[in-house]
Amino acid sequence: MATTPLIRLSEVTKTYHLESGDFTALDHVSLDINDGDFVAIMGPSGSGKSTMMNQLGILDVPTSGELLIDGRNVANMTTLERTHIRRDIVGYIFQKFYLIPLLSAYENVEYPLILKYKKRDGTGRAAAMLRAVGFDEAMSEHRPSQLSGGQQQRVAIARALVNDPKILLCDEPTGNLDRKTGLAIMDIVCDLNREGRTVIIVTHDPKIAEYARRTVVLEDGRIVQS
Amino acid sequence: MRDIFFDLSVRSVKLNFLRSLLASIGIVIGVVAVSSMGMLGTNMQLSVKDQLSSDVNTIMVTSDVVRTTSTSGVPVTSSGIDKSTLNDITTAAGQNDVVPIHHTSTQFTIGSTNGRGSIYGLDPNDVPKFLTVQEGSLPKGLDDALVGANIANNFNMNVGSRIKIGPPDTPNRPTVRVAGILAARGFASDGVNTDNAIVVPDLWYTNTYGSYQIYDQVNVIMQNVDNINVTEAAIDNKLNSRTQVVRISDASSRLTTISSTLGTITTFILAIGGISLVVAAVSIFNVMMMSVNERIQEIGILLSIGTERGEVRKMFLYEALILGVIGAAVGGIMTLVIGYSVVNAMIGSTAYFFLPDSLLYVPEGMLIGIVVCVASGLYPAWRASNMDPIDALRSE
Repeated sequence: MATTPLIRLSEVTKTYHLESGDFTALDHVSLDINDGDFVAIMGPSGSGKSTMMNQLGILDVPTSGELLIDGRNVANMTTLERTHIRRDIVGYIFQKFYLIPLLSAYENVEYPLILKYKKRDGTGRAAAMLRAVGFDEAMSEHRPSQLSGGQQQRVAIARALVNDPKILLCDEPTGNLDRKTGLAIMDIVCDLNREGRTVIIVTHDPKIAEYARRTVVLEDGRIVQS
Repeated sequence: MRDIFFDLSVRSVKLNFLRSLLASIGIVIGVVAVSSMGMLGTNMQLSVKDQLSSDVNTIMVTSDVVRTTSTSGVPVTSSGIDKSTLNDITTAAGQNDVVPIHHTSTQFTIGSTNGRGSIYGLDPNDVPKFLTVQEGSLPKGLDDALVGANIANNFNMNVGSRIKIGPPDTPNRPTVRVAGILAARGFASDGVNTDNAIVVPDLWYTNTYGSYQIYDQVNVIMQNVDNINVTEAAIDNKLNSRTQVVRISDASSRLTTISSTLGTITTFILAIGGISLVVAAVSIFNVMMMSVNERIQEIGILLSIGTERGEVRKMFLYEALILGVIGAAVGGIMTLVIGYSVVNAMIGSTAYFFLPDSLLYVPEGMLIGIVVCVASGLYPAWRASNMDPIDALRSE
């Protein structure tokens, strides 16, 4: 049965205009990612991984080609619509965690709920998320700078999941963590995929890529293995 | 529950407490400058208006005809109002008091000191209608005179002192005796400036200077100041219908002129106070730009996880608003203290300080301070909200 893929890239090209001339970071890339997939995107540095990540995260739009999320063409969306997709459909996990420094651990998780519902969380969902990722509740009032890397990444995962996104987009999620903590984080990510969430991991670490059911390798802006 | 963007702004202000404090002090100074300058101007206007309006109830009538020769062939440069004109004025003035006044300037000698001053010839019965004798009594005899407060003080005149009137080299100068000293009038808006003058009975004046029944000025003192325009019109109608005989004026027009001049001065000093607000605006702008530039990565995080541009803008405008509200609140309180001292020092009275016209400058100054602050934050907020999330995330 032919179902519409959750994400479809067809002939996506991204060109940056630099002083030294045009640079094509993605070169006619086509890729389908289905609901429930677990995809690792690999490649050496400069291969277009980050550009791919920005495209999949709707942080950017293709120079040419089409990027469809949930059947909708990203290029035809307004800035506000893309903002709402990022808020509601995609959850982000970054290598550097990127928590909001002025908010406590709890508030960082609550924040996307406030963005979506325009009010403070009264449902206890933010606290439940923190518990689900194994975050020590006693530290919920701590600011990110007071937390260890593993704790920060747990908060980041809770934040990414709190609006129940269809896609979990991870950019080197274990890159700043020690091996043991990295494994624990990957266990959480795998559990999330088993529960049915689409997971995309951008990494250069083959060990991390092993967790995925499908590996896409980029080289010079093209897919060389899918 | 509180807006999370407001919380973020409060925390940012707290995080950069010293910097925010300094920027707020700029607003405090601006608010104090604008408010207290405005108050100073208003208090000045109110105080001058009050001083002047005590004798705005007088219509001044002077001759519009300049006599170039007198009957004896001696050139006369002053103009005068004759008896028939005076009668017409009295008729037109109705129930109101009519005071004919002789006036010239003269040299005089008291003891061995020579001086110069104005001399007024008045019917002694008219004196109490608009002048106050502070010491001594009204003139009883023909040689009795009243002297102004300044002249009495400057020449050590006392009740009973004798003054020789006329240039010192004149033989057989007439002498008057000081019967009383007049209370100081300050600037008299009815044209009778007695502070540096000698006031003599009209008969003594005409015996000495001639001009019998020719008056230099006629004042009509209104019983009810509200009818001043009606009476002026009646005099004008009666005397100036065929040719322009008299010139009619009253202090209310002068009061208007002075008020509008003071209004201009108030605007001017307000503008000077406004300069400090401009300086404050620059420092708020600077602090807001620093806040934006230091938080580029944080802005990138906010935008990438789905914060609307408007929400980012709101966060920075809240920050400017917080600085403005704190600055304005402290400025408002300080204005009450500093403004009170300035008004007290410059005007010498705080009787008008707590009137609404004056106190209004406190909320006005505060509002201007807040508006200036938020306006200074507009561009930095716009800049923050229009960043590219990818570039912003990548910045360290």
